[in-house]
Amino acid sequence: MDTINLTVNGISLSGHEGETILQTAQRAGIEIPTLCNDESVEHYGGCGLCVVELEGTAKLLRACSTLVSDGMVVHTDSPRIRQSRKIALELLMSDHEGDCRGPCTLKCPAGTDCMGYVQAIGRGDCREAVRIIKDTLPMPATIGRICPHPCEEACRRRLVEEPISIARLKSYAADVVLRSPDPWKPTVSPPSGKTVGIIGGGPAGLSAAYYLALKGHKVTIADAMPQMGGMLRYGIPGYRLPKQILDREISDIAELGVEFINNYRIGKDETFAGFRARYDAVIIAIGAWTGTRIDCAGQELRGVFGGIDFLREVNLGHRPDIGERVAVVGGGNTAMDACRTAIRLGAEDVRVIYRRTRSEMPAQDEEINEAAEEGVKFEFLSAPEEIIGRNGAVSSLRIRKMELGEPDAGGRRAPRPIPGATEELDVDSVILALGQTTNVSGFEDIVLSRKGTIAADEHTFSTNMVGVFAIGDATNGGADIAVAACGEGHRAAGVIDAWLRGIDLPYRKPYVSEREVTAKMYSDKEVIPRASMAKRDPGERRHDFRQIELGLTTEQAEREGRRCLNCGCHDYEQCRLIRYANTMRIEPERIKGDKHPGYTERKLEAIERDQGKCILCGLCMRVCEEVAGEGILGLVGRGFSTVIKPEFNDPRAIAVCRDCLKCVKACPTGALRAL
Amino acid sequence: MKIVIGEGSCGIAAGAGKVHSALESALGGTQGVDLGLTGCIGMCFLEPIVELRDGETLVRRLVRVSEKDADVIAAAAVSGDLSMLDRLCIQPEDEEFLDKQTRIALRHCGIIDPTGIDEYIACGGYEALKKALLNMTQDQVIEVIKTSGLSGRGGAGFPTWFKWNATRQSPGKKYLICNADEGDPGAFMDRALIESDPHNLIEGMLIAAYAIGSSEAFVYVRAEYPLAIVRLEEAISQAKSRGLLGENILGTDFSCDITIKAGAGAFVCGEETALIESLEGKRGMPRLKPPFPAQKGYKNMPTNINNVETFANVPWIILNGGEAFAAMGNQKSKGTKVFALTGKIKRGGLVEVPMGKTLRDVIFEIGGGMIGKSAFKAVQLGGPSGGCIPADLIDTVIDYSAISATGAIMGSGGMVVLDETTCMVGVARFFLEFTTNESCGKCVHCRIGTKRMKEILERIVKGEGKEGDIELLEELCLAIKDGSLCGLGQSAPNPVLTTIKYFRNEYEEHIRSKHCPAKQCRNLLRYVIDPEVCTGCTACARHCPTSCISGRLKQPHSIDSDKCIRCGMCVSRCKFGAISAE
Amino acid sequence: MSTSGSSDLSLLDGVMSEYSQAPENLITILQKAQDIYGYLPVDVIYYIAQRTGVKPAKIMGVATFYSQFRLEPVGKYLILLCNGTACHVNGSEEIERLIGEKLFIQNGDTTADGLFSLRKVSCLGCCSLSPVMMINDEAYGSLTPEKVIDILDELARNARQEEGL
Repeated sequence: MDTINLTVNGISLSGHEGETILQTAQRAGIEIPTLCNDESVEHYGGCGLCVVELEGTAKLLRACSTLVSDGMVVHTDSPRIRQSRKIALELLMSDHEGDCRGPCTLKCPAGTDCMGYVQAIGRGDCREAVRIIKDTLPMPATIGRICPHPCEEACRRRLVEEPISIARLKSYAADVVLRSPDPWKPTVSPPSGKTVGIIGGGPAGLSAAYYLALKGHKVTIADAMPQMGGMLRYGIPGYRLPKQILDREISDIAELGVEFINNYRIGKDETFAGFRARYDAVIIAIGAWTGTRIDCAGQELRGVFGGIDFLREVNLGHRPDIGERVAVVGGGNTAMDACRTAIRLGAEDVRVIYRRTRSEMPAQDEEINEAAEEGVKFEFLSAPEEIIGRNGAVSSLRIRKMELGEPDAGGRRAPRPIPGATEELDVDSVILALGQTTNVSGFEDIVLSRKGTIAADEHTFSTNMVGVFAIGDATNGGADIAVAACGEGHRAAGVIDAWLRGIDLPYRKPYVSEREVTAKMYSDKEVIPRASMAKRDPGERRHDFRQIELGLTTEQAEREGRRCLNCGCHDYEQCRLIRYANTMRIEPERIKGDKHPGYTERKLEAIERDQGKCILCGLCMRVCEEVAGEGILGLVGRGFSTVIKPEFNDPRAIAVCRDCLKCVKACPTGALRAL
Repeated sequence: MKIVIGEGSCGIAAGAGKVHSALESALGGTQGVDLGLTGCIGMCFLEPIVELRDGETLVRRLVRVSEKDADVIAAAAVSGDLSMLDRLCIQPEDEEFLDKQTRIALRHCGIIDPTGIDEYIACGGYEALKKALLNMTQDQVIEVIKTSGLSGRGGAGFPTWFKWNATRQSPGKKYLICNADEGDPGAFMDRALIESDPHNLIEGMLIAAYAIGSSEAFVYVRAEYPLAIVRLEEAISQAKSRGLLGENILGTDFSCDITIKAGAGAFVCGEETALIESLEGKRGMPRLKPPFPAQKGYKNMPTNINNVETFANVPWIILNGGEAFAAMGNQKSKGTKVFALTGKIKRGGLVEVPMGKTLRDVIFEIGGGMIGKSAFKAVQLGGPSGGCIPADLIDTVIDYSAISATGAIMGSGGMVVLDETTCMVGVARFFLEFTTNESCGKCVHCRIGTKRMKEILERIVKGEGKEGDIELLEELCLAIKDGSLCGLGQSAPNPVLTTIKYFRNEYEEHIRSKHCPAKQCRNLLRYVIDPEVCTGCTACARHCPTSCISGRLKQPHSIDSDKCIRCGMCVSRCKFGAISAE
Repeated sequence: MSTSGSSDLSLLDGVMSEYSQAPENLITILQKAQDIYGYLPVDVIYYIAQRTGVKPAKIMGVATFYSQFRLEPVGKYLILLCNGTACHVNGSEEIERLIGEKLFIQNGDTTADGLFSLRKVSCLGCCSLSPVMMINDEAYGSLTPEKVIDILDELARNARQEEGL
């Protein structure tokens, strides 16, 4: 065979007579993207991704079909080529009807593969479920108990009856595996020789530590508190999250070789510079532990507590003196934790003071209901005006009555005071649960955001100092839910691992295809009520800090797992379309328009065809004809509305199909699925 | 005396067939007056046309004839008193339409009877074939074509001799194809050429087949051209019976057969590789090039494809020499070009002019300018692959490079004249709808890209355009040109690009002011009743489907614009012209 | 969909003996079949597949690619409305809308009484008579809304009379 000499991207390559540019480049390890090409069939040239530039030729050429010739000078990457590929991918995605991932996963701040583990539980495979969860979340037993579960808000089962109990399924599976004699363990890479120091052992720091340790790095966490866990331990009451569960999941992280240093505070025990100098990379994950002050006189009085401070004291085993009558100001989850903790400390009269109404409360519904069950009272449309003291201690709280104004541009109705309407409540203590901020003392060299938090790049997590990263509640937008901190820890671990190996790999939210759905599309689904978990009786539980939820039974959990509507795509991991789409920043929304006919059909018994996901690369059809020698599939129609179908809906075609599944294997997307 | 009726498709659609029958019965077999037919005279705006000839001399040309005129025509022809036909005679200035043309490809059109071979032979037909076969080598034929500078009249303008030579040089059995899949909306030159002078096409094809060494030729004709197919079928059998087609043509070793294949309705089959696929009985989806058809075409053998007009020039070139053909035209483009002149033009029809003339010559000198009061705005050349050339470029010279420089293309010859009542965004949308429907669907850029462009344009004409749409269109245009496999996709953006280039303000006005300057986009119109003109007859109100017109009997009415769905029903119902759109 | 049908396949014998040997004749065969049956019934397509050896999926691909082929019967009057450039600039959209409103059909549809089918087609090449439509091979040019209404009414009347006879 004659050898042909050509240059690809400045590299001299030798090709063979009759070989295409694509083949020669691939042999040399130069990747040229293509969706419609497959070595087993004749080239087609449909997808337009493999375009390359050939010096001396004005047009872009398709590498899949252009034969190499002597002296060719080929470029496989240039702005013009990238633009052409980008538009091709945008066009394809704009015409692609499918969900890469379930809405649960997309809504999860940690990107957990909810669908994957929910279904594993449905199959009774909790070990597999835990393996899937731990891909993105190292503490499922903990998070599953306390997560406000945005996943469930997104769950499409809602369109049938109620969302799947995703969060509790997570803790269910984790509990089962924790109890098993041989719990699942992750695989740890060989030591890298690199060290990472993490300041703060909360959900963000622990997650980062877990994933960095898995990559073989030597991780040390330094924390100001006596034990690890951060807000999980000192912010969340034990009746929601038993400490032994947390301990167990933290010890699993320690087992990976992560070193813990407690009672250690930057600025007091050591300067930040000193700490920084000891590690190849440092992560600041100090959280947000300072209660937000409000404009209200009397905050200096004895008996006034910050919500976070109060919870921390209780979790440290202290019993702050709150008296009989307690006012908790705020409407978030911290306020709920505080009021319910106050009840458990024996307070007789606990009132939540909130300036809007029940429906505006940011706390989870479930939490509010449980608080009410336990005897908490609510004063809505009320704002604290003055804390009145006697002898330096709280004696009463004057509240101003509010009303809701007209909705603003965002539809939110701002509360405004009703002139002259005030009320005085006799109270022994006031707990101000109005959000929290970060205390950055000791980190004076780090540039802050306008909000006073640590400024961290949203893609690289880096601060103004090289090798110093920051994550979690202490950064940028401030406090968020625990699962968001875990997610950030996980993503930062990926970026930092790459950075330690000398690679810039900023995190970018992957582009995914999403469908718009309506309840009508699910009208044929059987109604299966959501599993409801047994809880301790309010009269009993209000006296102690033991967990109030009694967990799902195996039967409940498995049945719940089987309720999953399987929204995500089975092919997400292998899909070449979405992989290429994520090699560049595409914006298909700007060319949003009609989509080709999309429906699912099972005309061949063993194969399901989702027309909405078909990109018309023709591979199934060509493989069926050229490789399988059958020719059962054909193009039907012309242009935009063309679809590929098995010949008519003919029983004879079904008989002819030998279920070789070559078409399914050839499909570059999730359009075909073997049943 | 001979009465000859112009019976091309246009003429027949205008009623020439009925005129023919009426004349037949009016004459009733009268001695001394022959009744005959010819093809397309080219003056479509005057159809049906009847000519009175004395021998070869044209005595009278009667226009817009109806079957009611048959008796008087018959009477005049029999009596010789032609004065009774004065009211039917063509106006002298309309004769300019033909007088100012130079007809090479069309030279027999509207003169000879296309249903027989005799008139063709009588005017020198098949002499070129004789000359080529008996006196010239294959190389010499190619050399003459090279000298003539003839280039592909289908649109691309590729040198004809080069393709012939490439096919001739390729090893293996060779095929010759005539592309008569004239798909551009607004183009009917090829149809007229086949209907009016089929033997000229056959002769041109045979000369080409001889030159490249092919013994098997096809004519791929649009299915929408039934008359062309019939006339060509007849011509083929006549040629065969005279030994001009088939085995050992004119007694030489050269044998060649021509088969007609009817297309089945797919614009993309005008693209040569798609045409080959279609000819092979498959879906007309373009192949990747290279290999080019000259290397691997029909049945993977060397294949030469030219369009009808290209072949139609060949016999003349062989007879008159390459130099004579090259003497016409300008430095860059040689010979003549046939155009189908249509749209808002006063005198529409078939026009053949030497290359180097200007658009003004064709539109104003030959076409007589606009048909209505509205001013000339632009001319659309090249159909869905071409573009719109604005009024201020009216002096653009007709040659391949000058036309291309405007952003349009010469194309196959469709020339649609637009006036101020034509919305340019609407024109772009029209063509994108066309290409979206005709895209074969194989490649992503074309299949989805044209659809997306169409959607954006639809949004704009509906008044839902937004800032950035023009730039988005431009971005898509460039990407689709770059990424599409075949000519359809590569040229589909041209109507959008040229209208943005020359009429960007019209796009902006649609997007920003929600206003259509041409008052064509229904959603952007507001119907109003002129109270001065309205008589209060209530006709509009009674027919309004949304009951948005109110007013008392005999009092001026008014339209509630919010409820109005802009159906235009009121305008068509108002007998007083009181309702207008603004 | 059943593949056994009621079409009289013997009507195709002549076409088959002339064309079935070469696969490149597929389009010609389909055209002739459509001439015979008015459209392409599925059993006819299967029969053609059997006789030519071309896979049914391929035939389906061809039959749905070209706009000439119909897989459903059409109405007594097939209205081909020209959608060429000249017709467009001279108001063919108005005509299309009018036909749609009058007959309650859209492009590609057939009226419930089976009388009219409407198909927008690419340029019929009668540009100087634009806007143009062709009904069962007869061209109607220089259309105006009034003219279209008259033509359709006339055809409907004719059909009723024929039925009456």
